[in-house]
Amino acid sequence: MMKAPVGGAKHQLLPSCSLLALLAAFALPMQAEAAGTRAGSTISNTASASYDAGGGPATIDSNRVDLLVDELLDVTVDSSNPADVPTTPGATGQLLTFSVTNNGNGVEAFGLTTIANAGGDDYDPAVTQIYLDNGDGVFDAVADTLYTPGANDPSLDPDQSIAVFVLATTPGTVIDGNRGIVSLVAAAKTGTGAPGDSFAGQGEGGGDAVVGSTGADGTDAGAFAVSAATVTLVKSAVVTNSLGTADPIPGATITYTIVATVAGSGSVNGLAITDNIPADTSYAPGSITLGGTALSDAADADAGDYNGTRVNVALGTVAGGQSRTVTFRTTID
Amino acid sequence: MRTALFLLLAALVPGQAFAANQVALDNLVFVERVSTDAQGKQRILLEEPKVVVPGDRLVFVLNYRNAGAQPADKFVITNPMPSAVRFADAGDTRPLVSVDGGKQWGLLADLSVPMTDGTRRAAQPADVTHVRWAFQKPIPVGGTGKLIFRGVVK
Repeated sequence: MMKAPVGGAKHQLLPSCSLLALLAAFALPMQAEAAGTRAGSTISNTASASYDAGGGPATIDSNRVDLLVDELLDVTVDSSNPADVPTTPGATGQLLTFSVTNNGNGVEAFGLTTIANAGGDDYDPAVTQIYLDNGDGVFDAVADTLYTPGANDPSLDPDQSIAVFVLATTPGTVIDGNRGIVSLVAAAKTGTGAPGDSFAGQGEGGGDAVVGSTGADGTDAGAFAVSAATVTLVKSAVVTNSLGTADPIPGATITYTIVATVAGSGSVNGLAITDNIPADTSYAPGSITLGGTALSDAADADAGDYNGTRVNVALGTVAGGQSRTVTFRTTID
Repeated sequence: MRTALFLLLAALVPGQAFAANQVALDNLVFVERVSTDAQGKQRILLEEPKVVVPGDRLVFVLNYRNAGAQPADKFVITNPMPSAVRFADAGDTRPLVSVDGGKQWGLLADLSVPMTDGTRRAAQPADVTHVRWAFQKPIPVGGTGKLIFRGVVK
C-alpha cells in the first residue's frame, strides 16, 4: 500500500521564512531524561530514494551522517528517611540513609560529601563516617565499605543506584525536640557546572562529557529529631500523731510521697526511686505503695523492696508525659 | 568547535554536491540549541553537530534533486529511524510512517500497535521505525525539494 500524501508541488526549496516558522513552531523545552543512549555510541542516518526515470526502477542512498553520543553527566541524591530519624543527646552512630543514582549515559564516579551546618535546624550533627552499601540496602559496618573521598568514590553504570549510609554523633547539649539536618552531596568526578558545560574528550567512548540538567551534582537532606525525656522528682511528707496534730513528736508517723514525672517526647529506661530512711526514724514495715498498690518489702517479683536502710522502687521504662507515685511510712523514734 | 549557524542561514545551507546520478539525495542533520540572550529572549540555533547527548533535538533534512534528463516517476524517499533516535514530528510534510520495521505504512494517526493483552493502541510518534514520502507526480528535470523531520536522541 502506498499513499501519496505529498503532491508534486513541492519541488522547490521552501522559502526560508516558512522554514523558520516551521522550525520555530516545533520548539519545545529540553527535557531531562534518565540515562538514554549509551555514551560513545554512534547514531547513523541514511535515507534512500527509489524512482523511475524511464530506465526502470532505480534506487539511490543518501550520504550517511554519523553523530557520536557524548557522555551526559547527571546524578540525583534522595534521602531514604521520609520522616525525621529519632536520636538522643550524645548518641553515636546515628544513621541516615541516602540513595545516589547515576542519571547520565556513561559510567561515572561520584565524590560524596556531607553538609551539616547549613542552618534551618537546631543543631549540627557531627558526621563521623560515610559507608557504601554492599547491595542489600541495610547498614552493616562490617559488610559495607567505609567511604574515603578520592580513594573509593563509587562508580555507577547508567541508571545504577547505590545506598549511602551517613553516620553522625548527636551533641550532648541538644534538648528534646531539636532537629539536626545532614545533606549528602554527590558530584560527578569528571566535573560539575551549569547544564551544557562540557569537558572536552573526557566523556566515555572518547566524546565530550556534557553537564546535564542536574548540574552533574545532586543533594538531598535527611534529619534527626532529638527525642529526649527529663525526670522530675517531688518529695513531700505528712506527719500524723496520736494527738491528732501535725507535730513531729516521738511515735508520730511520717508518710512520704515521691512523685516522679517524666517530660519530653522520649522515654526513660531503668528509672528507679531510692530513698534512705532518715536517722532517728524507723521504717514502717510493709508500707511501700506504687500508684496506690501495696508492694512487699522483700526483693522479689514486685517492684519495691526495703533492705534495712533504704526503700527502692524500680519503675522500669516510663514514657514522656507519665508520672509514678511512690509512698512509704516511717515512725519517729 | 561546533559551528553555530543561525536558523536563517541554516535553512539556506546548500546541500553537498549531488552525485552525477539521475536523482541525488542529500542528508543533513542539525541539532537545535536553545540559547537565551542578555534580554532573556530565547533563540533557537541549528548547529551541525559532531556530537550529541541524550535529549538533544535533531532536525533531519533531506534535499533531493532530479539531475537527470528525464522526469523521475514513482519517487519515494525512505528514512529508517536510527535506533537511538525517537521520532518527534515531520512538520507539515505529512509522511507515511511505519511502526513495525517497514512492513506496513500509513499516516501515524491511522496506525496502531499491538499490546501484550492482545488489544491495540493508537501509534505514538515514539513508535515510528521508518519515515517515507511517496510523490504522486514525477519530479521534473531539475526539480528540487526539501523534506524535514525531527527526532530526539534517546
